[in-house]
Amino acid sequence: MKSAAVAASAVALIPLVYLGVRVGEAGWDRITGEILTERTALLAGRSVALAAVVTVACVVIGVASAFLVTRTDLPGRRVFGVLAALPLAVPSYVAAFAWVSTVDDFEGFWDAALVLTACSYPYVYLPVAAALIGADPAQEEVARSLGRRPFLSVTMRQIRPAIAAGGLLVALYVLSDFGAVSIVRVDVFTRAIFTSINLGFDRTGALVLATVLVLLTLALLVGEHMTRTRGARYARGSLRTHARVRVGWIPVPFLALVSAVALGVPAYALARWFVAGVSRPGSVAEVVTAASQSFVAAALGGVVTLLLALPVGLLNARSPGPLATVLDRIAYVSHALPGLVIGLSLVFFGIRVAYPLYQTIWLLALAYAALFLPLAVGAVSSAAAQSPPVLEEVARSLGRSPLFVFRSVTVPLAAPGIGAGAALVFLTCMKELPATLLLRPTGFDTLATELWTHTDTAEFAAAAPYALVLVLVSALPTWWLSWKSRL
Amino acid sequence: MRWIIASLLAVGLTACSAEAPPAQNQPEPVSDKKVTVYSGRSEALIKPLLENFTKATGITVEVRYGDTAAMAAQLLEEGDKSPADVYLAQDAGALGAVAKKGLFTKLPADVLGKVTDVYKSKSGEWVGVTGRSRVLVYNSDLVKQAELPGSVFDLTGPEWKDKLGIAPTNGSFQAFVTALRVQHGDNEAKGWLNGIKANGAQIRPNNGQIVADVEAGKLSVGLVNHYYVYERAKADGKTVDALKAKLHFFPNGDTGALVNVSGLGLMKKASNDADARAFIDYLLGADGQKYFAEKTYEYPLVAGVATAAGLPALASLKAPAIDLNDLDTLQATVAMIKEVGLA
Amino acid sequence: MVVELEISSLTKRFGRVTALSSVDLVVEIGHLVAVLGPSGCGKTTLLRCVAGFERVDSGRIVVGGRDVTSLPPQRRRIAVVPQEGALFPHLSVVDNVAYGLPRGSLKRAHEVLALVGLADMGERMPHQLSGGQQQRVAVARALAPRPPVVLLDEPFSALDAALRPTLRRDIRAALRADGATALLVTHDQGEALSIADEVAVMREGRIVQTGPPTSVYAAPSDPWVAGFVGEAVWLPSGHALLAGVRVVGAGERVLLRPEQISVVDGSDAVVVRTDFHGHDAVIGLRLPDGTDLAARILGGAGLPEVGAPVGVRVAGQARAF
Repeated sequence: MKSAAVAASAVALIPLVYLGVRVGEAGWDRITGEILTERTALLAGRSVALAAVVTVACVVIGVASAFLVTRTDLPGRRVFGVLAALPLAVPSYVAAFAWVSTVDDFEGFWDAALVLTACSYPYVYLPVAAALIGADPAQEEVARSLGRRPFLSVTMRQIRPAIAAGGLLVALYVLSDFGAVSIVRVDVFTRAIFTSINLGFDRTGALVLATVLVLLTLALLVGEHMTRTRGARYARGSLRTHARVRVGWIPVPFLALVSAVALGVPAYALARWFVAGVSRPGSVAEVVTAASQSFVAAALGGVVTLLLALPVGLLNARSPGPLATVLDRIAYVSHALPGLVIGLSLVFFGIRVAYPLYQTIWLLALAYAALFLPLAVGAVSSAAAQSPPVLEEVARSLGRSPLFVFRSVTVPLAAPGIGAGAALVFLTCMKELPATLLLRPTGFDTLATELWTHTDTAEFAAAAPYALVLVLVSALPTWWLSWKSRL
Repeated sequence: MRWIIASLLAVGLTACSAEAPPAQNQPEPVSDKKVTVYSGRSEALIKPLLENFTKATGITVEVRYGDTAAMAAQLLEEGDKSPADVYLAQDAGALGAVAKKGLFTKLPADVLGKVTDVYKSKSGEWVGVTGRSRVLVYNSDLVKQAELPGSVFDLTGPEWKDKLGIAPTNGSFQAFVTALRVQHGDNEAKGWLNGIKANGAQIRPNNGQIVADVEAGKLSVGLVNHYYVYERAKADGKTVDALKAKLHFFPNGDTGALVNVSGLGLMKKASNDADARAFIDYLLGADGQKYFAEKTYEYPLVAGVATAAGLPALASLKAPAIDLNDLDTLQATVAMIKEVGLA
Repeated sequence: MVVELEISSLTKRFGRVTALSSVDLVVEIGHLVAVLGPSGCGKTTLLRCVAGFERVDSGRIVVGGRDVTSLPPQRRRIAVVPQEGALFPHLSVVDNVAYGLPRGSLKRAHEVLALVGLADMGERMPHQLSGGQQQRVAVARALAPRPPVVLLDEPFSALDAALRPTLRRDIRAALRADGATALLVTHDQGEALSIADEVAVMREGRIVQTGPPTSVYAAPSDPWVAGFVGEAVWLPSGHALLAGVRVVGAGERVLLRPEQISVVDGSDAVVVRTDFHGHDAVIGLRLPDGTDLAARILGGAGLPEVGAPVGVRVAGQARAF
């Protein structure tokens, strides 16, 4: 398992190797010249500030929604449970376009924070809701019996790893995002990278700058690691449910507002694009083709990502230690790099190492894996906790080979959790654009690339059907994600 | 398989051409009725043209669409192993960047001969296909024709305070600033940038947004490429005359009337690819040029093809006397725009 | 005597900690041996090494004459009954039991289910069973493939005290009926003494005494074992109460068991506490010289009051250390 985990992590290292090679060519003066400037510091500072604001907002909204949906008598909590997860299906660039085209003068730091929060709070909401459902009620009962309010003293502690993991994904997402921030016109660090490429056709300068994102990520990883409580906790199969807090109707406006911001505005904008303009996609067949190719690419990306995540996640759950931790963290290190940089690194890899795969769907799937490995590793780790090692030991003592045991015990027990990871990766692949543009097979159109094609030439009405189908197809796994969490 | 043969041929060719004049050692052009195009220009514009080409020649086009700059970066990363035969780019800067790394072959003389010198690379590694003029787009409700500026330098005046839209991260704006530097020197260019910044210039992410905001009356004027009003009209289902956004071409060779090009380069390994050659000939031929004139409202660069109705002829434009080959100091321009604080 | 499981000179270290130090143990065919020791003594490590879940640093494990020391768990033919059963939650009871059987061997699965008294529970899911029933299924599952050796890891510790004796008896009976050879590890001396044919007492990674339950209880090899396998009363040798008691061995301290001590009318000692267990009771006594004793009396009789003076009598044989 160890060697498989090491090999899998190597995929996540491709972008770093590429950065190393190209930045190494740049020379020391060039590096310091690019990085040690006032503008770099300013943009990095703003990126960090944006990531901080969005992460805090996502934690507040995500935890509040999760608590309301799982632990209260809120009317319509099942509906809100699904609605709270659905923004995952809306690509942030679509949401940003929607806001810009709906609200006058929608631009700047706080507007970008609003869009990014609306799109990414489900990254906190989903794991926290799952943790709130899975948490042992006995601990809260003890706290209550000792006269303490259990939420802060016990519950927060139980869900802290989920909050930290979700918050980390949000922060890294914000650092890496270019589409939404450029549409909402806030000047952040990814902008510097794209300016180098778009204006100066200066790849090296862009990559030198990208290393700053890697450094920021490392700092975040260290921070998140310190909040982790180590030691695997396995499911006890407790079927007892938590007592529900009585809140009545009071929080309904809050959840409704969150859904209106995250879902209502994009839906309204899409509808308007649809009816307002005259441009139309070539034919329904084109939309269907794009949808099916999106599906194929995202499904393959999901499978490849998951296969790579399995050994890393299992190692992490089964034999925690320095090696497992390092491999797990490696998956995250390139997660804050913009898709364009990941795409270029896979071009580099494809040309130099895997030429027969270049511009095939397989290399695209590998790029998705490099991009989204952390999502899957996290899911596999927590899924593995559903299958305690003692079950595998018993199974082997009954004369079954490790492979048979994996198939007959580990997989069936971890399948729901692994499925959740696959769904998350799948829908994230569906939305991915920059790496898809660089790496897709020639002539291979997906919903995201078609959406880009049409928005690039301001044909919003033609773009609308693609956006709509993209959101709907992504909504299915999202709905499944929230449904399987027993929300 | 095709690229293997082609690249072997290309290697053989470069080995020979160092010694002898190419005309004598040129092998027979190879055709497999297929050409691979990297297009930095958008699918909506290019696809119908390619279909016409295939219909006319029977040559299939495999085409990748992408962002011009990202595609240039991709080509640089791919190097000699790129599957591309032809790179079709949105602007001369991207072509220059790829040419600089030696990935393009020198185009044949008869191809280069179709386009005047200012719209092609000096060393013959890329050639312009269409021209796009920088213009001032204005809202005819907000600005009277008589009030229009005679020069971009007038835009720093108080009458344009907070009224001008620019897209400083856009390549076309950037080429324009480079032209300012070439024509007037770095100090004046920087002075102009500082001037419009102090004058409250409004930053937009791209030309299309500027035109949309001018049309909506949110901006009075904006610096864009001429064809964006046509795209706006098409998206809104109107004729260009029905728009409030009108075009103003700067007179008297003002830098504001710079004519830039979209163009193409032929990858080294395709230097003997008959299909790629046929593709280039088609784009620079009457049908291709006419398509651009009518469908994308750009200026044809080959003599004898009419411009779109309502546009002044390319020859009638008072474009500044600037050689596009001199606009290769993009880095310095980027640095200047950054320094002034506009990007 | 036919040896089914033979462990010799088994040593296992975790970093600098020596968990097992040259352990030797022999289990006869059809016997149940209990490894008894306090938590942290290495008994679970021993079980995991025998099962093949841990690699040993040195020593040999032989099952039925076959050296399995370096074999993976699935090739050792040693089945395990873990604490709390560890049934596969996604499989029905009968599928759990049939897990180690060749495909389609449902007859055997039902046979062992009947053996543990759950003949009609085959279609249930594990979470529909009580703790004791889950444990029975775990035993059935281990027995099903007829492994030469079954290992039981504190199999009763998580159950209600009231359930334990019955379950223990039933499982012992099932093991015996199936002719299984078993090694059980436990920290519960009552469990070890009641169920095992032989008890191996373990301390700090070593086996300190092996023997039938009665002899380990009656003739512990050292004071620590004496105290661990049962409640011990210590008197200095030559104490007045030992008059008339046959003392075996030589030493300054003499071991008595509370059941050897009885309370009569008199004033030899004062009652300091009474622990009533229902079927019996343990009376804490203090002699005038400050020595503490304990006497086990039958529960039916009335208990003396704390503080009351009582007479003390000692019966049977004693051991000096």
